[in-house]
Order: sequence, then C-alpha cells, then structure tokens
Amino acid sequence: MKNDYGPVWVIVEQRDCRIRSVSLQLMGQAQKLAAGLNTTVEAVLFGNLMEHHVQPLFAAGADRVFLGSNPQLAFYEPEIYVRAMVRLAQEHEPEIILLGSTAMGRELAPLVAARLQTGLTAHCIDLVLDENNILEQRIPAYGGLLSIICPQKRPQMATIAKGVFPIPEPDPNRSGEIIPVAVPEDMSPRLQTLEVVHEIPDEIPLESAAIVIAGGAGAGDPDGWRQIADLADALNAALGCTRPVVDEGWAPLESMIGQSGRMVSPELYIGVGLSGEQQHMVGITGAKVMVAINNDAKSPVFDQVDYGVVDDCREFVPVLIEKIKAYQKNQVTC
Amino acid sequence: MMKIVVCVKAVPDPQQACNIRIDPVTKTLMRCEVPLVLNPLDKNAMQAALDLKEQFDAHITALSMGPPDAEGIVRECLALGADQGILLSDRAFAGADAYATAYTLATAIAKIGPVHVIFCGMASSDGSTEWVGPEIASFLDLPVVTMVEEIVECRSLQWKVKASLAHGYRLMQVQLPAVFTVTRELNTPRALVFSGIIKARKKSIVRWGIDDLGVPAEAVGLKGSPTIVSKLTTTQSKREVNILTGTREEKATQLLQKLVDSGVV
Amino acid sequence: MIDFTFTEEQEMFRKAAREFAEIQVAPKVAEMEETGEVCDEVVKALGEAEMMALTIPEEYGGLGLGYTARLIALEEISKVSVGTAMMLQVFALGIEPIIKFGTEEQKKKYLPALAKGKRLASTAVTEATGGSDPTGIRTSYRKEGNDYILNGRKCFITNSHIADTITTLAKDDENPKAFSTFILEKGMEGFKPTHKEHKLGMRGCNTGELAIENCRVPAKNLVGGEGKGMRVALGAIGDVGRGGMVGCALGLQAACLEASVTFANERILYGKPISNLQAIQNKLAQMKIDLEAGRLLGYRAAAIQDKGGRSSNEFAVAKYFTTEAAQKAAKMALDIHGGYGCMEEYAVSRYLRDSFVLGPSAGTSDIMKVIIARWVLS
Repeated sequence: MKNDYGPVWVIVEQRDCRIRSVSLQLMGQAQKLAAGLNTTVEAVLFGNLMEHHVQPLFAAGADRVFLGSNPQLAFYEPEIYVRAMVRLAQEHEPEIILLGSTAMGRELAPLVAARLQTGLTAHCIDLVLDENNILEQRIPAYGGLLSIICPQKRPQMATIAKGVFPIPEPDPNRSGEIIPVAVPEDMSPRLQTLEVVHEIPDEIPLESAAIVIAGGAGAGDPDGWRQIADLADALNAALGCTRPVVDEGWAPLESMIGQSGRMVSPELYIGVGLSGEQQHMVGITGAKVMVAINNDAKSPVFDQVDYGVVDDCREFVPVLIEKIKAYQKNQVTC
Repeated sequence: MMKIVVCVKAVPDPQQACNIRIDPVTKTLMRCEVPLVLNPLDKNAMQAALDLKEQFDAHITALSMGPPDAEGIVRECLALGADQGILLSDRAFAGADAYATAYTLATAIAKIGPVHVIFCGMASSDGSTEWVGPEIASFLDLPVVTMVEEIVECRSLQWKVKASLAHGYRLMQVQLPAVFTVTRELNTPRALVFSGIIKARKKSIVRWGIDDLGVPAEAVGLKGSPTIVSKLTTTQSKREVNILTGTREEKATQLLQKLVDSGVV
Repeated sequence: MIDFTFTEEQEMFRKAAREFAEIQVAPKVAEMEETGEVCDEVVKALGEAEMMALTIPEEYGGLGLGYTARLIALEEISKVSVGTAMMLQVFALGIEPIIKFGTEEQKKKYLPALAKGKRLASTAVTEATGGSDPTGIRTSYRKEGNDYILNGRKCFITNSHIADTITTLAKDDENPKAFSTFILEKGMEGFKPTHKEHKLGMRGCNTGELAIENCRVPAKNLVGGEGKGMRVALGAIGDVGRGGMVGCALGLQAACLEASVTFANERILYGKPISNLQAIQNKLAQMKIDLEAGRLLGYRAAAIQDKGGRSSNEFAVAKYFTTEAAQKAAKMALDIHGGYGCMEEYAVSRYLRDSFVLGPSAGTSDIMKVIIARWVLS
C-alpha cells in the first residue's frame, strides 16, 4: 500500500553528545502521530562523534536517524544547521516536524519554517490528529485552548516545551537505520558562534522541586517580590514566576513557568499574587495540591486550585511565613 | 549613517489582558475594551536602537503592522526618539499569522531601502510566538541572532553579541546587515519624556497599504497565513475549590494545617 | 461645538507623567511619609523628567506646554504622592511671576536653570498676619540707593528650605497701600529659612518659615515694577496656584477611588466581595461622579488659561469643588476600608491626612466662596 503521508520528524538536540530529554519526549509524540498516519518516525540529529549515541532515539521510537556528524556541528551553528535541514526536508518531504522549545529550537524552527514556506505553531501543549488527519496543535489562550492547524502547507511544524510530554518507556531491542547526512564543514561568513557558556544554576531546579512557589504581578514591587522569595526559602521551594514579573525585571526569564517557559509538576504549587492566566497555569501539570493567594476574588486562579486565600499577598505572605517558621520550630523541638 | 529599523507591535495592555476571555457559552472571545500599548519587549528593541544613536550617526525607523489604532504606539516610538514611523495598515493585512506578518514586514523593510540593523522584541506579550524576527531574517536572507542579552562589540560592521541560553549564553559574531531579537536583559528602556513627545510633532508617520507594498493579496493577511485557528475550546478545572475565610491570621493557620494534613509540607 | 476629548499628544503626556510617578516617585513615598523630609532623589527625578519646564517658554529652556499639560502632570503625580505634586505645583508658582512679569534680563538669568531643576522656586506671600488677606502682611521694604532693604517673616511657605529663587511679596515701609514683589535668592545676606513645619499630611513636601532681616536686594530683582507687587503675587496665585491645587486634588480623588475599588473587590464579607453591596457601590459611584465633575471644571479652567483668558474665577470654582470632593473621597475611601483604613500600611490613611492639607493651600474653601460670590455679584 502506498503511504499517503511523509514521515514524522523530530529535530533532536544534543549537548556533549547526550540526547536532551525534550527530544526524547517528542519522540513519544512522533510515534503516536506516525501510528495515526501510518507512516514512519525519523529523527534529525547534528553533532560531532555522535555515531555511538543514537541508540536512545531508536529505543524511543525512531525508525531512521539522519545523522550529521562533523566537528563544525558539535554546537548549534545556526546558518549551517538551517541550510542542511532545509535541504534535507525538501528532499524527504516530512509530513510533520517537531522541535523542542529550547534556545536552539526557538531560533531554528522559524528559520526552517520560513524557508520551507510553511506554518509553525509555538509552544504547543497538546498534539492530536483531526478527522482529516491534519495535526491539531493546541495552545492555551484566553482561559481556554486554541487549536491551530496548517491545512495546506507541508510540513506541519510545531515547537513543544520540555516537560509537556513524558519520555516514552525505552525499548532497548528496537533498532533502526542511521543515514549519514553530508553537512558542509565551511563556516558561514556572516554568522558564527564564538563561544558557548553554560552556567550552573545555583537555585533548586523548578522541574524537579517538590514545592514550587510562583509569584505574579500582585507582588507589586521588588519588596513584595522578596517576600515571595522568602516564602520559597521558608518552604525550601523552587521559585517561579509569571510573564509580568519577568517584564518588571524582578525575576529572570529562566524562572518563568508556563506555555513559553518552564513546565513543573510539584507535590505542592502555591501561586502568589497571580490571576491564573492560562498561559501560566498550563505550566503546572499534575501538581498534587494547588494553592492560590490573590487579592481579587474574581480572578480565574480561584477556579483552578484546591485552596484559595483571597487577600493582598503583600500582607498575607509575611503572616504565612511566620506561621510556617513557628511550625518548623515546633517540629524540630518536639 | 547607520540605518536601523525597529519592528514594534501594538498589543492589548498586558496588565489588563486577563479581561479577554472565551465566553464559555458562545465560545467566542469576550473583548472588554483593553487598550493597545507598545509590546513590552519592543521597548527594549527601541532602547537598543536609541543607545546606538547616542554613539553613532544613526537613523531609526519604527515599523509596525496593525489596525489604524496602532498609530498610537508608532507615535510613542517617535516620542521615544525614532526618526520616522511607518504603519502598515490595510484590511488585506488582517488575520495574519507570524509567517504572513514577517513576510509583510520584510517586504516593507525591503521597500525602505538598505538598512544595517533590524531590532525586534524577542516575543510579543499576546502572541508569544517569537517567530517574526527570525522569519523576517529568512525572507530578507539576512543573518539573525535571537534572544540578544548584550551587544558586546558594535564599532564595525562585524558585531559581537551575547545571546541568552536558559543558563548561560552564546557569543556570536555577525556581519551586518542583520536581524536581532532582544531580551529585557539587554537594557532598561527609558521612560517617555515630555520634550520627546513635543519633538515627535515634527516627525511623520507614513501609512502603507497593500498597494504601496506591491504584494498580491494572497501573500498577506489571513490569505497569506499557512496556519489558522480551527477551534476554540474552554477548559474546566477538575479541582474542588476551597476558599479559606476568617482573619488574616486564621487563614494562614488554616492553610498551613491543610498543607500539613495533605502531607506536602 | 466644544471638544471635551484630550488630544493624542495630551494622552501621551498623561502616560509619560504616570510612568514617571509610578517608577520614580512611588518607591519613595514610604520614606517621605516616615521622615517627613523632602526626598532629594524625587526632586532630581522631577528635574530630569522636565517637570519644572512645563510652563516655561521654549526660548528660556522650557517646554512651553501650557496649563492643560501641567494639570495632567500634576493629576498623575498626585495620584501617587500628593506631597510631591504640591512641591511641583509650588515650583511653578514661584516661576510664574518671572514668566509673566519678569524683565528680559530676569528671564534669561533665572528661567533656564529653573527649567532644568538646577534651581528650585517658591513664592512667599503668607505671614502670620496675612495669607488670605495679603494686604495684612508686615514684611516691608525701603529703598536705599539702588537697593531695597527688606525686613519681615514669612510662614507656611512651601519649598521654604529647598528653594533657590523665591518671589516674595513685601509692603512699602512708608506707604501701606504699596506692595512690591522681589526675587530673593538663597544665600542672600539677611535671608534664611528657619523653622520647618510638621504637617498633618503631604509629608515629603517641605513647608517652613523664612526670616528676612535687613536683607539687601538689588533693584534688578524687583518683579513687575515698584508698587505692582500685589498684581504680580495674586496673578500667580489666582491662576497657577489654584490650578495647581486642582491637579493635586484630582489626583487624590482618583487615588481614593482606585484604592477603594481594589479593596472592595478583595474584601470578602458574607461570602462575597463587598463591591457587591449597594452601600459600597453608592460610595464608589459618588466618588466617580465627583471625579468626573471635578475634571470637567479643572480642565475647562485650564483650557481658558491656555487661551490666555482670565481663569482665576473658574479655578476658584474648580479649586473649591475638587479639594472638598477630595476630602469627601478620602473619607469614603476610609469608610470602605473599615478598620484597615485606620492602619498606616494602607494608603487611604495617608489620603485622608493629605486631603485636609488641600483645603487651606492657596486659599481656603471659604475664601474660594468669597471670590466666587464676588464674581457672581460683579
């Protein structure tokens, strides 16, 4: 039987020859979609000396891996990556291309999409095939979900944040084909990466924290924000925030939770001084207990949590910190 | 003279954006009258251009695509220090996705003539796609660096910039002309001042429609957009909400007790 | 027909003033309340944001914007800090006599530095024996050669300790019906600020006494000519002084309403926000009515002033209405806040204190009625 659909692609990302978790998470989705379309799953991976590191991709569901491997590809090099990937996509005509919403994915995706003259959906939180086998790319908006489709142009392209989907159970017995891709080794004359510096974050990573405190614009000012940080300290929690907080400059972009930021699934989530915008709330997946502290009784956050406290967080948080400290002291002495 | 284009967008005031919601019954958008403001990250893009203008002989064009109302934010850019404003406004442009938006803006930039630097905010507060900057670069076949957090070297046509990573950065060397999308770490946007507003009186805003750009109607707006919104659904919470009452002290005590009881503290 | 809408440019002025107030002034309010002292950073920021330059003509380094723009700026700043707006309003009050009555030499000498905020201005009329009735003042001058010798004591002078340029009203030693206005400068021998007042409200705005003892003032510092002093002083107070107080009052009204709406939506009683209660809604509606009416009165008077018309009577009406309304609004805001309103952490307690300082500044409500009655009967 002739296959009507091209393959489903995942643009895989590696760092120091290790496949990044978001890429494996996307392999699971690619497998699901490929099954629906009765087509294959293919991974595209660029790096240096990667030959012995592709097995996790097969284990996660790849049928074929397009592997570009040479010293110039060790790090993401935009111009070379884009040129090679566009050529590869034009040759193999994938039906769908998925990328992680990482620094690389967020730059690479639009560069590839525009050159392939196709659409691209940002930071999806769900991917399903509709009745016509078109990819429904769901994003949160206005307190609900928007389904975005790319009905005519191919491939259909989407980016997905780390943590939206689980890593599929690896099948160590699966194997597949490695197809070497010849990537030119000459550097772009107009754009070059001189240096890549990874800093080690000193705070508790949001993704693995048992307790996450997220602060919003209700903090009011840097002092209000420090109180929320103190609450996080008191509970030994990771501290996240909403976009307005990043806009105000109280917290770095890296700590933003939500559709275009981090995805967290803690035991306890406490949203402080935030209204419950969907773009933020979708970043909390499967929290066991959720709490909201906000001054506006009508804000949508109070429809989405287990416990709500209607109060000015600037007044309430110090009182709560006091109670927590008193409780912790009792625990120790008893 | 260094020619700079800053792409800016009028967005619903982010502080009031939570007033835009989906009507759970009709599944349509309930738009309260949320005023349009300059997208927060575009202020950083404007400031990046203004900082260059302080060092070099530069000419700044603020370029926006949007409804006629968006003229207000272009005027604001003039008051902040841009030399001229261009508003791309036409019914044919309406309903554009990131691709069609980038195409239209890129066409306008090509019409402006040779430029050295194009600045965009990294993302818009309403769309949050981050695609427009890099797609403009693709259409113009220019190099792009996204998420710029520092301009390290800009005295020649070969710049060095730091692009933000989740933890860390990439140091990039780029040959102008080029596109840069900027983060809020790049600078602190200066506030509007009255004298800037007065100086803007003498500056003009040009309005270009589809005929001025000379592009086919199929290439812009909804018709030129590969992606469309197919559905709008509301989500329902599965949680039983328990609003705590009493004095501030009582609420704090109750909350702590509930958290201890559920075993999360 | 009459156009009641602000221009796009005026809306932008409002936005600029609001951003200025929220970014530069708001973080300093607590400190100003605590110490009662002028915050140097706020004064510096006012200068950098060109707030002192609004009404100064462009040829003297100002912005030449006129009085509607000034009212907009004052309203927005007062919304965040009435004390800061008061300080700014009196800078303009000190500047105005030089703009309106100053010689070319005086304008060139003083205005550019005043526009930049490098010099600060004030005006000194009030004394223990005369404020509302300025003819009761006792500060006197006598001519000595080319100079004048001034003696007296001024009280309740806003910006007394920070001003560099103070337009001061004095009475002819020999002719109790003749008044003249002089520019006194900080550092002149025999002229110094003495006692600092501690006010009920508007903390962070400096008010105090000025002592003038055998102060020798050169004739070139005379404003508007000898014997023309009353016209100079009242010309400034009637339009610019009252207009400034309207800006302060409107800002306070708006702040009271905003704080009340926020609180009423937050505060839960009987399981619902108290904004659902008609008793509360009634107060909110009243505050809104007064704010809208006050804006119409104030901005109309400013529009007349901008056209060069005589606006002191219209400003008397607006000053009376808005300062009274601000007091009522502060009281209602406090009522809505209940017990919280009595706590200093809540801004409404400050609003109430500030509202009581609005009335007596630039003429009490009773004096406004005297002026308005004179207008009606004339």
